[in-house]
Amino acid sequence: MTANESAQGPGMKFFVAVWIGLMCIVGIEVIVTYRHLPARDLLVWLLLLAFLEAAIAVWYFMHLKYERAALVWSLLPAFIFVVFMMDHVWPDAFRVATMRLLAQ
Amino acid sequence: MSDMEMSAGAGGHAGVMEESPFAIPSGKLAMWCFVLSDAVTFSAVLFAYGYLRVGSADWSTPFQFVPSVLNGLVMTFVLLTSGLTMLAAVEAAKAGRTAAGTRWLWATCALGALFAGMHLMEWRHMIEEGWRMFQNPLGGSVHFGAAFFSITGLHLLHVLGGVVALAVIALGFPSGKYNRIDVEITGIYWHFVDLVWMFVFPLVYLMNAK
Repeated sequence: MTANESAQGPGMKFFVAVWIGLMCIVGIEVIVTYRHLPARDLLVWLLLLAFLEAAIAVWYFMHLKYERAALVWSLLPAFIFVVFMMDHVWPDAFRVATMRLLAQ
Repeated sequence: MSDMEMSAGAGGHAGVMEESPFAIPSGKLAMWCFVLSDAVTFSAVLFAYGYLRVGSADWSTPFQFVPSVLNGLVMTFVLLTSGLTMLAAVEAAKAGRTAAGTRWLWATCALGALFAGMHLMEWRHMIEEGWRMFQNPLGGSVHFGAAFFSITGLHLLHVLGGVVALAVIALGFPSGKYNRIDVEITGIYWHFVDLVWMFVFPLVYLMNAK
């Protein structure tokens, strides 16, 4: 694939459809919020929907789908690794929530 | 002229050099690297927010549907629409329709400025209610203000930077100072700003809705 071919997209009609899809996901997020789920369930739902939106945006709006696979494989694993390493803060956060002073 | 030649300059050494493994201009690769590093920055800020929230027993959830969540919804609509106008600018630039591309760039710029204005109004409303970086008028954790103003402030800074960048490209695109590659590169940045909001709105606004 040449650079010119990689830059080709599907056209504005398709992008308008994607935009409508993204707005629908935002609407679902608001509906889920007002179902008054427990905080943990709400967080899981909102994160799933946010990652779905982000994936659609990166893939179509940022045209990553139309670039070489080498670019995708150079960018995504590095990001996933860093986020995975950051994910190790949670046990400490829960420890802070339940921390008590030592008995005198 | 190919993207690579346009990036290197028609009179450069593009013809005798080995092709880039990604087959994209160096400017575009640099923007992708910036987006990657900035995504890590925003991830760190959102993790810090999560840490504070989990670690605070008295976390406040102050956002009522009207005005805060509704305002956030309208801001999301404005920013997502600006992503669409940015795509129209890129498509027009790729098709060689310079005038249309410039118009769509200005439309994106205007929507970005509208988003920033709405965000500042939201801040003003909260500050009038007594919220500060380390002050909570509801009496709960003072970290709420720090997290809210830091995350939304960092995003707002990116939006304002994007609006300036879009205006500079829109001014130079008709005269040929900037080409379609520059429009595409600015587009990647603008869509990233859009993408970050897709996390900020649910995590900062909806998770703190009453």
